[in-house]
Amino acid sequence: MRCLGDFFSSSIGRKISVAAAGLLLCCFLITHLAGNLLLLAGEGTFNHYAEVLEANPLLPAAEIGLALIFLLHIMVSLKLKYENRRARPVPYVVQKGKGGRSWGSRAMLVSGLLLLAFLVIHVKTFRFTEHRESLYRHVFDAFQNKVYTLFYVAAMIGLGLHLSHGFQSALRTFGVGHSRAMSAIKRTGLILSAAIAAGFALLPLWFGFMAGGAR
Amino acid sequence: MNLTLRIWRQNGPTAQGRLVEYRVEDISPDISFLEMLDVLNENLAKKGEQSVAFDSDCREGICGMCSLVINGQAHGPERATATCQLHMRKFKDGDIITVEPFRAKAFPSVKDLVVDRSAFDRVLAAGGFISVNTGNAVDGNAVLISKDRAERAMDAAACIGCGACVAACPNASAMLFVSAKVSQYSLLPQGQPEREKRVLAMRKAMDAEGFGNCSNETECEAACPKEIKMSNIARLNREYLRATLLSE
Repeated sequence: MRCLGDFFSSSIGRKISVAAAGLLLCCFLITHLAGNLLLLAGEGTFNHYAEVLEANPLLPAAEIGLALIFLLHIMVSLKLKYENRRARPVPYVVQKGKGGRSWGSRAMLVSGLLLLAFLVIHVKTFRFTEHRESLYRHVFDAFQNKVYTLFYVAAMIGLGLHLSHGFQSALRTFGVGHSRAMSAIKRTGLILSAAIAAGFALLPLWFGFMAGGAR
Repeated sequence: MNLTLRIWRQNGPTAQGRLVEYRVEDISPDISFLEMLDVLNENLAKKGEQSVAFDSDCREGICGMCSLVINGQAHGPERATATCQLHMRKFKDGDIITVEPFRAKAFPSVKDLVVDRSAFDRVLAAGGFISVNTGNAVDGNAVLISKDRAERAMDAAACIGCGACVAACPNASAMLFVSAKVSQYSLLPQGQPEREKRVLAMRKAMDAEGFGNCSNETECEAACPKEIKMSNIARLNREYLRATLLSE
């Protein structure tokens, strides 16, 4: 265990930290999505869920933990990215590759920065705000702004792209990776990222553009 | 066939490099890419110009000396092929071909298309070996190894250390190379006594050389002339995690 210090300063150790934080964030996204989908069950059900959640005395601790996981994931990723740029000071004049990279892997930095911008606006809109009597009504009103709604959907497409590479990359980083397991992991990652992105994008589209369906 | 070559020329390690255009004519489609460069160099020598410096040795695809990024692809357009085994029939008459060196901070430029890949040697010297006391050779069948394990170790040992993985990686990471070397020993009984020490030392040496960090882009696997698999990188991650937790 004496090399734990080495571990957290090493390339592999930091990748494992980013991967671990990423997978924890995936778990958070699934529970967050499950909560969000209660919006479709109507005002009463959703508001009750929100009240129970907010009344939980452990919520502040969980929020601080979540913020730290986000911070770790973002800061270490950006540091690694910076080092990667420095590892090739003279760029190629022609760069074509042999088809290894996916759209998701190419877009990791851009999708990550889009999600960071989204996160700041999202937390400001839905967490640090006065929502008076009904959180459901607050969500409904927020999605009446079409620019915000479209930004939300674009960010969720970014999230899907980010997860399409991130999920399988995280598992590889943890050392899962013989060929048969990898094809199953890749498929699971694609299905999971599409489902999470579509699930989150469904609500702004529903409230923003099919407002007749909302009560 | 007649071709236009845009070749990276650089007088020395610190000199400013640039692409210089050359024409080569009547190139046989049956010669290799390196032989085509030989033809160019003969033409340049006849004209009294300085020939293009590039690395090559066995020209049989087994030594790992040849390099080159051809039209943005390490070792050119063919899969599982080193530049020396790439033939001109893979190109068309009239093609414009851009030839650059392998680019990475850890592979500093020497001249033209030649880069210094001794960073790989230093990573190997840190732990890419097994220590065996001298004496009589042990009986070949005294240590049993399952066929499956032996095959995987041999697949990893096929790495010729050319550096195409670093050249092709968007992050200039050396993980495929290091993972192949760690794998070939960690899979075999002979590699067990130094298993943890090896992976810790090789990781340290790899980072010290200034290679980038792996983000599982899989470009290395696609560019590798010996088809070293990404599963080795997963094994390296596993071995490193294991060694961190277990070594005393």
